[in-house]
Amino acid sequence: MNDQPANILVVDDEKPIRRFLRASLQGHGYTVFEAGSGQEAIQEATGRRPDVIILDLGLPDMDGTEVTRQLREWTKVPIIVLSVRDHESDKIAALDAGADDYLTKPFGVGELMARIRVNLRRAVKTEDEPVFEIGGLQVDLSHRLVTVNGKGVDLTPNEYDILRLLVHNPGKVLTHRQILHEIWGLAYETESHLLRVNISNLRHKIEADPNRPEYILTEPGVGYRLRY
Amino acid sequence: MASILRYLESLGLVAMATLLGTPIRALLHPTNLVMLYMAAVVIAAFFLGRGPAMLASFLSVFAFDYFYVDPRLSFTVADTEYLVTFTGLLVVGLVVSGLAARVREQLQALRERERQVEALNALSRDLTSAVNLDAMLQAVVRHVNQTLSREVVVLIPRPGGPLERRASTTDFMLDESELGAIHWAFEHSETAGMGTNIFPNAKARYVPLKTMRGVMGILGVRPRQPGRFLTSAQRQQLEGFANLAALAVERASLAEEANRAQVLGEAEKLQTALLNSISHDLRTPLVSIQGVLDSLLEMEEGGENAVVLDREARLDMLENAREETTRLNRLVENLLDMTRLESGTLKLRLEPGDLQDVIGSALAHLDDPYKNRPVNVHMAENLPLIPMDFVLMEQVLINLLDNAAKYSPPGAPIEINVNCLDGKALVRIADRGQGVPPSELERVFDKFYRLNRPGQAKGLGLGLSICKGIVEAHGGRIWAENRPGGGMLVTVALPVEDAGRRGGAR
Repeated sequence: MNDQPANILVVDDEKPIRRFLRASLQGHGYTVFEAGSGQEAIQEATGRRPDVIILDLGLPDMDGTEVTRQLREWTKVPIIVLSVRDHESDKIAALDAGADDYLTKPFGVGELMARIRVNLRRAVKTEDEPVFEIGGLQVDLSHRLVTVNGKGVDLTPNEYDILRLLVHNPGKVLTHRQILHEIWGLAYETESHLLRVNISNLRHKIEADPNRPEYILTEPGVGYRLRY
Repeated sequence: MASILRYLESLGLVAMATLLGTPIRALLHPTNLVMLYMAAVVIAAFFLGRGPAMLASFLSVFAFDYFYVDPRLSFTVADTEYLVTFTGLLVVGLVVSGLAARVREQLQALRERERQVEALNALSRDLTSAVNLDAMLQAVVRHVNQTLSREVVVLIPRPGGPLERRASTTDFMLDESELGAIHWAFEHSETAGMGTNIFPNAKARYVPLKTMRGVMGILGVRPRQPGRFLTSAQRQQLEGFANLAALAVERASLAEEANRAQVLGEAEKLQTALLNSISHDLRTPLVSIQGVLDSLLEMEEGGENAVVLDREARLDMLENAREETTRLNRLVENLLDMTRLESGTLKLRLEPGDLQDVIGSALAHLDDPYKNRPVNVHMAENLPLIPMDFVLMEQVLINLLDNAAKYSPPGAPIEINVNCLDGKALVRIADRGQGVPPSELERVFDKFYRLNRPGQAKGLGLGLSICKGIVEAHGGRIWAENRPGGGMLVTVALPVEDAGRRGGAR
């Protein structure tokens, strides 16, 4: 990361939440801009060029998903959406529209900071490196080689493709629909059992304890994310 | 037939008077023999009725003339004095037969009355011993049917609803035209239908069940053969039955109202208790959070009497506040879930789900104090995907694990066992706590149920009832039992196949 502090745009219509986020984010050395509506958010995003956008989905003027879609027309800036638990489907819609990550309100500040760091890190990553490594898991993309703690693992083509997709987007939440679309194609977007079975098999091959996965993390009801 | 017999009997009586008179004819003046005929007339009047008595009067005059007045065995009368005797005999005979017959009729009326009263009493007795409204109405139908030999129906309105047949003899049919009469009688609180001026073509007579509080319903009677009207005595009796039935219905409805009021009162009491417990449980974490924030703020602001806290104390306070926030959030989530479950707005997003994945996810989301509890997971091989709402099922497992951890000593491992049996996926979660008294095993899934144990009353008592709600919404079952060797075992059984959507997604 460069020396310039990262700019963060906080979009939420609740002033107390903006206030508390501003205080915590500034405390962590970020520069903070605020927007209280979708329109303002798009304006601020254009004007300030933030490095990360924290976007509440329940905005008074427009849907957070719509904000995401409009932003995605011209920018790849990481978007972390905030939602409350009864609006699961909004969250998925926003992720499908191109948001990178989500947090369910109420969330811990530590969790938020971790997500911001992961997303900043991924955003500055210039090129896909040929070898991805995390913990004991190593994925050599140029040779299609997967090893766990130095031992080679045999994966089926689908399993490998899923893992590669996750490796390409480390730390990013991928929805079921996104993974299905990417691996099996448009027609299979809703065949989530395909995904469940493959993830389960993949975990049995690369996780030490499939009951408590370390690498491929489940986002309940939403999708999966690779630890990063 | 019976009446002809009575007339023959009265003829017999006159014949007997004549026979009795024959042997003593010589001893008496013929005029005194009239007394024998007089006796025959009185007896006929009393026992046989007016008509036979009048016949007896006439026959007596002729028999007396023919047999006793000279010249005998002829209707000719020698002594015209006898004409007075004849007239006297006839007039007295007719008057006596009138009087005697009236006495007889009154006696009969009295007997009829007595029968009516007896019938009403019998109904009254049955009504008193009936346990509920339906039994009462059955009694009314039975008694009216027996006493009046008619088909019977009773209609009572449901609370706030239209009139409904509540009891009847088996073949009492109600068609459109009958309903017209019934509704008129109900609306106007007057008898309608057969034998009245209103809806005279109806096949039955409909009597309103009148009370002080208005018309309670309708009692209908229909003759077995069309066109047989009730006598006025029977109509009277019908009114009597209707009055009794009305009182019974009123009594039943009053009892029902009182009962409802009592239930309502109890529900209110329960609600107050729940509200108290909820507001206490929700407020407790807020108190600590606010306290922590106040102390820290006070310290930051400085001032003369400001609290001074070392770093360790501050960290401890903050840790405490954060734990309380988590707890508060869980309470709120549970309350919201409960509300959604109860209002039926909870929509399942069924997708084929991997039980191992749900369990892993639930373990990762356990609350802080229980995060490091040892958990042993045993998964059977080749488990199928189960149709489930992943987020809700995770909530079920979190609640169950949370409970297992909360009610067992720290460090005691929790066991999770998953296998498949008879088309059901069984998830068993077992702890080594104190278990639950056998009598309480059913009740632990009740809303707001908490074990009555000192020092362990954290939470709203909603967790397990939410589990039950969610599992049942999945078409599954959940139950608790005590483990041999101590501790509780909760089993969640989920159907493996969702009949409607095999392998389908959302």
